[in-house]
Amino acid sequence: MPPTPRPGDPAPQLDLPTLTDDRASLRDLRGRPVLVSFLRHAG
Amino acid sequence: MKVRDRWDDLEAVDGAALFVAHDEPQALRDVLLGDELDAAGLPFPVLVDRSREAYARWGCGRIAWWRLWLDPNVWKQYWSLLGRGMSIRGAGGDTLQLGGDFIVAPDGSLAYSRPQQRDDRPAVGELIDRMHEVAAPARN
Repeated sequence: MPPTPRPGDPAPQLDLPTLTDDRASLRDLRGRPVLVSFLRHAG
Repeated sequence: MKVRDRWDDLEAVDGAALFVAHDEPQALRDVLLGDELDAAGLPFPVLVDRSREAYARWGCGRIAWWRLWLDPNVWKQYWSLLGRGMSIRGAGGDTLQLGGDFIVAPDGSLAYSRPQQRDDRPAVGELIDRMHEVAAPARN
């Protein structure tokens, strides 16, 4: 597994399909603070 | 999702949120969202990473099964669910996969990095406070 990204590092890429069959990318939110939350599991 | 309840605080700093899940999409809709709302009603997108490549890229690993079952927080959550009359339903995903919380600054750099080591998610209030700190220099 790659090393954990640390504060100050460029944020890793994030571009994935969404639950609404759309697509979302972190790149599109440049200029705004963004909370990125990885869920453990749903159930 | 407690962030949803604090959405006004995020909007106050023009903040955005991306949630990432690895479970099968229909199971996510059933278990995560339940009957109260559909995914289109959320103020943020839920991204689906079935391969967990993004999880790995962001440093979110897996926990050893014996560490999971020795964690009192896990038992506390399960008892809490049962106490509220809810069943423990799996979404078919990997229950050993850990998550994590990160805050990306407006310039694209990482301002906060907190991959889970066990069931140790930070409080939503802490994340909101960090979002405000990150947004402040950009607004000045």
